[in-house]
Amino acid sequence: MADELLVVENLEKHFPVTRGIIFQRQVASVKAVDGVSFTVERGETLGVVGESGCGKSTMARCVMRLLDPTGGKVVFDGRDVTTLSRAEMRPIRREMMMVFQDPYASLNARKRVGFIIGEALVVHKLGTDAEIKRRVQELLEVVGLNPEHYNRFPHEFSGGQRQRIGVARALAVNPKLIVCDEPVSALDVSVQAQILNLLKDLQREFGLTYVFIAHDLNVVRHISDRVMVMYLGKVAEIAEGHQLYREPKHPYTGALLSAVPIPNPERGRARVSIVLEGDVPSPINPPEACRFHPRCPRFVAGRCDVEEPQLRSFGHDHQAACHFPLERWPMTVDEIRRPAQAPTEPVSA
Amino acid sequence: MALLEVKDLRTHFRTDDGVVKAVDGVTFSVEKGKTLGIVGESGCGKSVTCLTIMGLNNRRNTTSWGEALLKGEDLLQMRPSRLREVRGDDIAMIFQDPMTSLNPVHSIGKQLIEAVLLHRDVSKKEARERAIVSLEEVGIPRAESRVDAYPHQFSGGMRQRVMIAMAMINDPEVLIADEPTTALDVTTQAQILELMQKLQADHDTAIIAITHDLGVVAEMADEVVVMYAAKVVEEGSVNSIFNRPHHPYTWGLLGSLPRLDTDVDRLVQIPGQPPSLLNPPSGCRFHPRCSYVMDVCKTKVPELAPLTGDQGHVQACHLDEDTKDREAARLLQATMSGAA
Repeated sequence: MADELLVVENLEKHFPVTRGIIFQRQVASVKAVDGVSFTVERGETLGVVGESGCGKSTMARCVMRLLDPTGGKVVFDGRDVTTLSRAEMRPIRREMMMVFQDPYASLNARKRVGFIIGEALVVHKLGTDAEIKRRVQELLEVVGLNPEHYNRFPHEFSGGQRQRIGVARALAVNPKLIVCDEPVSALDVSVQAQILNLLKDLQREFGLTYVFIAHDLNVVRHISDRVMVMYLGKVAEIAEGHQLYREPKHPYTGALLSAVPIPNPERGRARVSIVLEGDVPSPINPPEACRFHPRCPRFVAGRCDVEEPQLRSFGHDHQAACHFPLERWPMTVDEIRRPAQAPTEPVSA
Repeated sequence: MALLEVKDLRTHFRTDDGVVKAVDGVTFSVEKGKTLGIVGESGCGKSVTCLTIMGLNNRRNTTSWGEALLKGEDLLQMRPSRLREVRGDDIAMIFQDPMTSLNPVHSIGKQLIEAVLLHRDVSKKEARERAIVSLEEVGIPRAESRVDAYPHQFSGGMRQRVMIAMAMINDPEVLIADEPTTALDVTTQAQILELMQKLQADHDTAIIAITHDLGVVAEMADEVVVMYAAKVVEEGSVNSIFNRPHHPYTWGLLGSLPRLDTDVDRLVQIPGQPPSLLNPPSGCRFHPRCSYVMDVCKTKVPELAPLTGDQGHVQACHLDEDTKDREAARLLQATMSGAA
């Protein structure tokens, strides 16, 4: 496909764990991201979900080159950005911007809003002072703020308004890709809805491409065209949004979906919930083979703890990494526990 | 008589900028073994309501009125010594952030034992055994050895379990849970909610669950109180709140939720932000953000009134009932479409 804006191949980020003060030696590594591959097409939204500590944010930072990946490749708009120098990277930074989670921490409290939004324009020398000011005021209006707020400080705004400033800052240089790292998780529901609607409107208007990270599956479903589920630095499942929510294949996806409370008393209490035991294991010593096996309700000894499942296709654009994929959805708890011993050869895609 | 009855509770804070009316006339009651959910956005006074019931507000700048009757005894009028007896024994609380509400320099065992020794006339050894049992009850593996661990050695979900163990250790009749799962992942949230329901069934505890997540409310609560700007705007049984919501703010909350079970292209958004409680809007406090606003809303404060045919469900809105029934039905239609 020619229309891929972002291609990530086998991305790896291992952080060293060292001992010793003067002579530091590496004793282990935190495998935060461990071989993640995906593509994002122009104009689409890829949602990324998973529990905390599964490598979503590290993955995003590697894509943005805010962190240097220790392996793999990130191809943005046809160029491999993993090997570029800082100077070579600079013009590309204009094309990919980021919106951060905490609207309180991500805006410099000592700078005026006009400066915060216009800084990227100044750095990239995109116009005279007057032009930049006009552009910033235009942006404030685009994100639903008053252009007269140009000279205010971030503390004068509420959480939702600050997140709008964060969005305006990301939009300033007309990027192609915006990576949103949990942009609404710090906001109240009513404000969250405002920001989600704004992001959708902007995408339509400017043809933006989003990578949208969140732990809230409802939010991800609402905004994403395709969804990627991560577990301990690996991709567990990736599929078109509706497909993933209607027919999850990976038991982890199933567990995540079934854990979401439904705001409807009858339906919420009637649903089957797969409650996972325990927490996400440490990425320093991730479990052997399938990383999900110690928590998996359909764990099969001799298979899941021996052989690592590869991503395989389940129809159009739907891939999951599991030896015993869910046959259908929803399932009763018993059905989930007893995987069909059917052949697990790849289905022809 | 209900186990806990809160009547016309008001809490005002004196600040440099003026008086903040954080809770302004809140009335509700909780029955034994039932769960009351309090929903609302940040700053609507739901946490302060519970802190007032527990007597945990700073006395220096806070004034509270009204009644909070626990088995007929008013918590607001209690002598401090009596309140200390009741708190942690008859009524206990779980806080949102388990890391900041556990003491990091003491082992969890020591903190649990302290809770027992304060309220029960038992030896240290017995208290320790009680602590281990309660840790087992909340599903902490290897409780005998984990009892000597420190809070930082536990994960977020485990810490929340420890908090629950500490709150439940003296078998309280009322448990107040202030956003118990907000800081947790969905999977851990499901574990904690399941645990709380199990403990409630075993001990017949009344739970007041404060949350901003309508999903959690739909799942846990028997009764629901919706708060906006320090006031109750709607109150009723969980089924009637979700099936026949009768306040525009409740519609806004329900409509602004992205849902797993249905497809909505565009979320309903409530324009603007929650008001400052220093200067709440006149009349109905929701009127500046309400799309059904009428002239009367700007001047006259709506009273809580029951719905026809449903005495237990009260709401405070000037709109006529036919319009509200129609709008509620439309909202339900919109949020249910596409559902299986």
